[in-house]
Amino acid sequence: MRGLLGLSSFIDRFNEIVGKAMGWLILVAVLVSATNAVVRKVFSTSSNAWLELQWYLFGAAFMLAAAYTLRQNEHVRIDVLYGRVSDKTRQWIDLLGHLFFLMPFVLLMVYYLVPYVAQSIRSGEVSTNSGGLIIWPAKAILLAGFVLLSLQGISEIIKKIAIMQGLIEDPHPFHNAKEQAELEAQALIEEAQK
Amino acid sequence: MIEFIALNLAPIMFASLVLFLILGYPVAFALAANGLLFFFIGVELAPLSGGSITLDWPLLNTLPNRIWGVMSNDTLLAIPFFTFMGIVLERSGMAEDLLDTIGQLFGPIRGGVAYAVILVGALLAATTGVVAASVIAMGLISLPIMLRYGYDRRVAAGTIAASGTLAQIVPPSLVLIVLADQLGRSVGDMYHGAILPALILTGLYMAYIFLLSIFRPEAVPALPPEVRTLGRGVTSLMVAFVALMAIGYGAHVWLYPTQGANADILGAVVGVLAIYAYTLIDKTMGLNTMSRLAQQVIIVLIPPLALIFLVLGTIFIGLATPTEAGAMGAVGALVLAFLKRRLSLAVITGALTATTRLSAFVMFILIGARVFSLTFYGVNGHVWVEHLLTSVPGGEYGFLFVVNLVLFVLGFFLDFFELVFIIVPLIVPAADALGIDLIWLGVILALNMQTSFLTPPFGFALFYLRSVAPKSRYKDTVTGKLEDPVRTNQIYAGAIPFIVIQLAMVVMVIVFPQLVLHYKAPVIDPSTVKIEMPTLQPLGGGLGVVLGNRAGWAVDWEHRPGCRHPAVAAAPAPGGLGTPPALQPQGGLGAPPALVQPGAGWASHPQRCRPLQAVIE
Repeated sequence: MRGLLGLSSFIDRFNEIVGKAMGWLILVAVLVSATNAVVRKVFSTSSNAWLELQWYLFGAAFMLAAAYTLRQNEHVRIDVLYGRVSDKTRQWIDLLGHLFFLMPFVLLMVYYLVPYVAQSIRSGEVSTNSGGLIIWPAKAILLAGFVLLSLQGISEIIKKIAIMQGLIEDPHPFHNAKEQAELEAQALIEEAQK
Repeated sequence: MIEFIALNLAPIMFASLVLFLILGYPVAFALAANGLLFFFIGVELAPLSGGSITLDWPLLNTLPNRIWGVMSNDTLLAIPFFTFMGIVLERSGMAEDLLDTIGQLFGPIRGGVAYAVILVGALLAATTGVVAASVIAMGLISLPIMLRYGYDRRVAAGTIAASGTLAQIVPPSLVLIVLADQLGRSVGDMYHGAILPALILTGLYMAYIFLLSIFRPEAVPALPPEVRTLGRGVTSLMVAFVALMAIGYGAHVWLYPTQGANADILGAVVGVLAIYAYTLIDKTMGLNTMSRLAQQVIIVLIPPLALIFLVLGTIFIGLATPTEAGAMGAVGALVLAFLKRRLSLAVITGALTATTRLSAFVMFILIGARVFSLTFYGVNGHVWVEHLLTSVPGGEYGFLFVVNLVLFVLGFFLDFFELVFIIVPLIVPAADALGIDLIWLGVILALNMQTSFLTPPFGFALFYLRSVAPKSRYKDTVTGKLEDPVRTNQIYAGAIPFIVIQLAMVVMVIVFPQLVLHYKAPVIDPSTVKIEMPTLQPLGGGLGVVLGNRAGWAVDWEHRPGCRHPAVAAAPAPGGLGTPPALQPQGGLGAPPALVQPGAGWASHPQRCRPLQAVIE
């Protein structure tokens, strides 16, 4: 179990670095898009490459940050039932969910995306818009996103088992909607008082 | 048994989705898992289904392309931009400044603080667009004032919670973006359609306070004049306002020959900038020709208004697409925060982290929904739902009633992203079959989903208010008096009148579709139209279109079977389908546009609808 937890914390750290870095892509996307808008209006020209760069950046941001979001336990849930059951039951729901909901999906996507991306690289696929960007890096990001999610899934399974055995504390315990609202409010109040 | 399952796989799949979701595992992956599970079941049962299941293994190969479609989607790009803009503004302290100043301005009239809360709520909705931030800021700043001077606790709580939810319906709300995406319409049209209902709703909130101030004046007392620490001086504010109108009108007249229909918005911009510049000079040079109150109101109010123009104004006059406007708004927010000395690295990284998180979970719900729908369509689920919804008695109204009821109930448990990504794609085919305008439907759904923030006991706005409202007896910091806490059932009771107003607004939009449908060029009643056939001129070409009775046109489109989206296509349409509707040169509701461009309406049904031009011939 120790070795597995080591692997898990390595995956966690890696996805944290990637996830945090992705925010900056959004800032770049904002600046690129604002510049595009001004250029389009003032100089009456626009470049498909720059337009495509906007969603390239956004796509990379959300695809590659999804694993970190999973780690932070921040993918939204419906908590009508989940919020009312015992911690033990919640842990079982999470573990079985990771095993039977998350992993089959992300692994299947990796399985189908590998040939999809390989095909795109081999053919040197380029955007159909004139002057557009090459496509395969974006498709490779899609694949990378699902690979990172698969890894994070493995890490979550390891952690969940360790939590259930009492080996570690839950790093991101569940908060129901009300507690979440309170936490959020608390953060905003602190912000306001600064 | 097996055959029964094979023949009814769609309902079974839907029921099991409910089960999957209610377990509480993250929605995105539960959706995808449900889709995949039933894909396997579906392929196995296909031979027994008598052709109602059209799934086979090679179909799974289309998954990468479906997800690629989500990633390369331009529309949803506006989500991170508006989110980022909202969070930066929230951290810039704009809400606090507005509440304080506008509160002082209106405070001494009866119901004044409540009006201020509603107005600021609408302003924040059009800029920050975050329900949590609005409710919390109001709860921290305005609620103590309202309690101190004896507002009815229920009225105070309800007003704050409801005003915070305006962020859901006032453009550039995220709900409207995802709705537009799922309905397959343009975000610009959605904003055009939603703006009038949003303004009317704000007006109704204020009307409610006005009625209270007449029939239960003790519930919304006026504040004593000494509360205005900025001093008196409404007169000079009035003078400034009159000057603004005069300059704006002058600029309008001056610009009209060159700018046409956009001159009114541009004229207003000139007027506002002139007053702002004058006020800044007046204050910094110490001339003080204006009262302090007037200076403060103008200085606090103009930056958000400028931002609203930068975002919504540019969309409405066709200068920018919603995505571009979002990006410019985000840059504008950064500049504003910088000028207020509230921009730091921590603010930027905080906003970026929150934006990335929201983007990741929203986009993954969409990805999960795409996997789900691959199977659901393969088992003819869309046909099942369409049949279910179109067989509701009462046609269009029956459909709207059922859909709204379902959404209202689901709104207690699901948030709007889930509702829009799961439910809306299912109802679109039925809505299409009934000939319902999808923007109109979208605005109705957005208003409906707004109530889910207010409905006890799960309404999020109520949670936010609960977390900042006093829970036990406390000593007021100003008067030193011991005050009672705000009880949770007072918050719930306060929300109810506003829920009723919301639902009334839903009914109003259903009964008067014109409130939304003005987003497209008004439809011409063929019997009252004189048309001089256009020679093939470029876009600017003059058309002698005499508009028919505006009130009559809504009836008109119901009477034309097979063509339920008859926007007028009068001008020769260069690039017809591609013309972004945001480019429609509509100044607003008032004057009928001089030049009518093809709306997006029939463009989505070219096979069913002939352009009206042909009909008139």
